[in-house]
Amino acid sequence: MTTTTLPRKSFQLPFSPVFLVWLGFLAVLLLIGVYSAIQVFIHGLVITNLTDSVPWGLWITVDLSSIALGAGAFTLSAIVYIFGIKRLQPIIRLAVLVGFAGYTSAMLMLLVDIGRPDRFWHPWVFWNVHSVLWEVTMCITVYLMILVTEFAPVIVETKLFDRWPALRKFGHFLHKLTPFLAVLGLVISLLHQSSLGATYGIVKSRPIWFKPSMPIMFVLSAIAAGPAVTVSVAYVMEWIMRKRTVPHDVLQLIARFSGVGLLAYGYIKFWDMAAVTYYGRTPGVSSAFALLQQQTPYSFSFWVGEVLLGILVPAVLFLVPRFNRNPAAAVLGGLSAMAGIIIHRWNVTVGGLFVPLSYTPGTSFQLPIGTYFPAPVEWGVGILVIGYALTVLTLGVRFLPLFNHQEH
Amino acid sequence: MAKKTVKKKIVVKLTRGDVVKLAVATVGSIVAAPLLTTGPLSPFGQLKQQQLEGETTGGHGAETGQYHWGMAINLDLCIGCEYCMRACTATNDVLASDPWNVVIQEKNSAGHTFFLSRPCLHCQNAPCVEVCPVKATYHREDGLVVMDYDRCIGCRYCQVACPYDARQFNWEDRTDENPYVPAWGEPEIERRPRGVIEKCTFCKQRIDAGLAKGLVPGEDREATPACVEICPVGARTFGNLKDPNSKVAQVIASNPTFRLREDLGTEASVYYIPPKEGL
Repeated sequence: MTTTTLPRKSFQLPFSPVFLVWLGFLAVLLLIGVYSAIQVFIHGLVITNLTDSVPWGLWITVDLSSIALGAGAFTLSAIVYIFGIKRLQPIIRLAVLVGFAGYTSAMLMLLVDIGRPDRFWHPWVFWNVHSVLWEVTMCITVYLMILVTEFAPVIVETKLFDRWPALRKFGHFLHKLTPFLAVLGLVISLLHQSSLGATYGIVKSRPIWFKPSMPIMFVLSAIAAGPAVTVSVAYVMEWIMRKRTVPHDVLQLIARFSGVGLLAYGYIKFWDMAAVTYYGRTPGVSSAFALLQQQTPYSFSFWVGEVLLGILVPAVLFLVPRFNRNPAAAVLGGLSAMAGIIIHRWNVTVGGLFVPLSYTPGTSFQLPIGTYFPAPVEWGVGILVIGYALTVLTLGVRFLPLFNHQEH
Repeated sequence: MAKKTVKKKIVVKLTRGDVVKLAVATVGSIVAAPLLTTGPLSPFGQLKQQQLEGETTGGHGAETGQYHWGMAINLDLCIGCEYCMRACTATNDVLASDPWNVVIQEKNSAGHTFFLSRPCLHCQNAPCVEVCPVKATYHREDGLVVMDYDRCIGCRYCQVACPYDARQFNWEDRTDENPYVPAWGEPEIERRPRGVIEKCTFCKQRIDAGLAKGLVPGEDREATPACVEICPVGARTFGNLKDPNSKVAQVIASNPTFRLREDLGTEASVYYIPPKEGL
């Protein structure tokens, strides 16, 4: 018996049920977020809980964290293209996508955070080369361009570009530049990842900020945690999309790298605490820490959030072979390292601003210690940024040829 | 997991054509970048020129100018009446809950009460000017640290960096009624828009208009900052620090003085004379 086989693909749902639920979840995040952002644009920053004494809060924390968590792109690019560990090649495209999501999230966040979003372009035109924030802005812009250039060859591989062979050819030309872009990306990233720490480290009048180790802590934590985030994204996308993304041995190797990186960061953190903060303290620093410890949960969030959750837990999950092989444990480790980064940035930003300025020559007057807890609308905009980043990752994994490509 | 020890080499295939293309692109970008951002082709160039007018120096305070405006505040005379705060708030139409000029009740080490009033100190080595990413706050040639409200993006880094808490952010559109108008003066400048930082300017509108009329700021009331002019006990003296014969220079020369947080190296333009009971 013969039947005619129609030349059509067997019918199947374009999305798995898990994926549909995931899309619904993303839609909810984006709706909450867009509503909150519109509220901020209509009413101004007055509806936040930010004040003249604590003018930076949750949003700056999100901003700094998303840049740090996007650090997997430059770290892994450097490992593959500069140190020649070609085995890690299969994760590069995903790492660049995660970096792109992180950096654009930061820009989106800043757009809501600044008082005059209509003037977002001013740093590109009105240069103040003495400002570390200007340097960071320029570096982030340039690095975003590098990420886009690194990613262009992936985009031109999609079907859409069948129509424009010239663009595809240009994309392949750009692809040849990847090793150079990796060098440039490394240089620029080391610069701005640490300068984000310097943003705090140079402020002379804030006792817990003003120290030379601030940039080091920022750049090290980003290098250690960034790749772990990429690993987590790979596993989670695998669950949602129901397809293999990156070979697991590659992910396990990167998780181990991240574990070692976190231990190194932990050691330098100990050095920072002992040599810089404790032995190198001034009376101002001592009283600032005493104040924070008495009146805020600073000690708790430092030891439990930054050290236990951010360093020890993920290091164990990444380095003990039994956990290292287990995707769920690796994702847990990645989330925990992310939490550590976010709590560190929060503690630096908000903790530093809680300590009141002291400028009077007298003995009795003291400005009140700062108080701040994010308003609902601030959480809402934070959710917008998270929703945006997850959407970029989802669409990228769904529609772009990130995996199983042949490297020449 | 089996360890693979074979290292694969990454081969870079660049043809001569690629190198030429790359070189052309690099040089092209280097030329294009300044043209497009600040140069004649820039859509912003005209705007930038407009904004630069009046901004005669970017740098380090009153190095080159004929004037360096400064103030001396005699803590021994100050009675804490807050007239300076009120006149400032009326004249500059400041939000009454966030005054530019604050008055603080303080005690010295022996427990004696004195009052500290604080305008912007107009540091010659100003942390706020250093950190602003867009040069929205800058030094005029006469040493004043002023704001370009049309350029500020509202990032609030200057506010975070100022050691003296001298900067206020406009969290919302102003619709408040100023409780000090008209009793303490009439607004001489516009209210600042939502989303920018604002600060004390030593009443630069008075200084500039006064100089144009040939008046002497610090001597002629019309050309003198509102806080100085209104002080009922004459605790504040204002004038040109570069002129040794100015009243302010003489007050500073003939009294013991200190500046706030001198340890930070900010080189403030406001000098304080301690109370005679000491600090």
